[in-house]
Amino acid sequence: MAYSSAAAQGKRKSFLDPRTKIALVVILALFVLGSLGGPRMEPVKTGLSALPFLLLLLEKQWRRFLRGLVMLEVGYGLLGALPYLPGTLNFIALMCGGILTRFVVTIVMGEYLISTTSVSEFISAMERLRMPQAITIPMSVMFRLFPTIQAEWKSIRRAMGMRGIHLGGARAGQVLEYQMVPMMTSSVRIGEDLSASALTRGLGAPVKRTNICRIGFRAQDIVLLLLCLAVIILWLIGFFGVNLW
Amino acid sequence: MKQENKLKGRDLINVGIYTAIYFVIMLAVAMLGMIPIFLPLLSVIVPILGGIPFMLFLTKVKKPGMIFIMAMIMGIMMLLTGMGPWPLLTCAVAGILAEIIYRSGEYKSAKKAVLAYAVFSMWIWGNYLPLFTDYEGYFAQRESYGQAYIEAVQKLMPLWMAPVLLAVCFVCGILGGILGRALLKKHFEKAGIA
Repeated sequence: MAYSSAAAQGKRKSFLDPRTKIALVVILALFVLGSLGGPRMEPVKTGLSALPFLLLLLEKQWRRFLRGLVMLEVGYGLLGALPYLPGTLNFIALMCGGILTRFVVTIVMGEYLISTTSVSEFISAMERLRMPQAITIPMSVMFRLFPTIQAEWKSIRRAMGMRGIHLGGARAGQVLEYQMVPMMTSSVRIGEDLSASALTRGLGAPVKRTNICRIGFRAQDIVLLLLCLAVIILWLIGFFGVNLW
Repeated sequence: MKQENKLKGRDLINVGIYTAIYFVIMLAVAMLGMIPIFLPLLSVIVPILGGIPFMLFLTKVKKPGMIFIMAMIMGIMMLLTGMGPWPLLTCAVAGILAEIIYRSGEYKSAKKAVLAYAVFSMWIWGNYLPLFTDYEGYFAQRESYGQAYIEAVQKLMPLWMAPVLLAVCFVCGILGGILGRALLKKHFEKAGIA
């Protein structure tokens, strides 16, 4: 889940403009993940769910595509098997299945956004959207830090597990103190390094930043943005009792 | 004086760092919400665990606006993780109130810090609002989870739980704040990052 740098992306320009990708993530988060509009929007939801997979195919991200598809299948499989499972197992299956079917589509969309957009492209898109720096700087720091925190936490958990400090272990009570504190200490340290490096490169300087990334809307962006608009209109007219199916 | 109060790049990066830690902890805990009994308990666990990064964050807050920005970003992140627009609203209100409280202690009072965190924690209540504002609709959407799940949640979350949960968020926020302060003294000051 690392940010793709411009170099890793090669010469190829991404299929979509970052702004379109952000709009799609928001629409998916609202309608697929948040189930806005309830059962009335169910067919729209199904259609939207296919979108991130389609986009991953277009960008030739085979591995992410397959991983997402497998996770979704496993989720539906678990939910489908619910009636045949006994008590405790049933709850575990429900939990995993529920999480997978609810989150996978939007996570895949988010992965698509992150893997095909460089930080510079992202920031330049945010600037064009007139987002204030007070939001864009912390947000880009956050997305940069998530994988780091995850990795740190994983290795600390492993180290502490060896000493019996894990949930269900002999010293489970100390999990809080000896897992979270080191995790936070190292994350903050890394964050401070990051902050120093960003400041040397002029982040937060009082002048307007320039950007070498070229972003712009093309035909496919307009089609997808119109699609987003259509979904919102469909949702809004629902309040006046109009139902298309 | 005016110049000093302006947020600089470093402050905004700090907001990002601590919001990221807070968010990761919250997300790890929130996954438990799929088990019915944990759904109301989230308003206990999240404020208590979140107190640790937040107290650490408050030691870096010296200028107005930082707490509010953190609250707004949490609202946006909740929107992106599918909690709907309600948390955005509660985040805005809780963020402003927490900001005012911590500011009244001139950004260094320990008691005000705990109180500010307790008020800040009340944004979590916004995550429950989709359930309480549209009780029937919420469960209609979750039919695929099976009748057992729906009945369990309905038993745990009657409508009168709404104000109770708000109060629980506040009380656990105080506890989390105290826990955060204690760990701050014990570990972070020693490690030199508080």
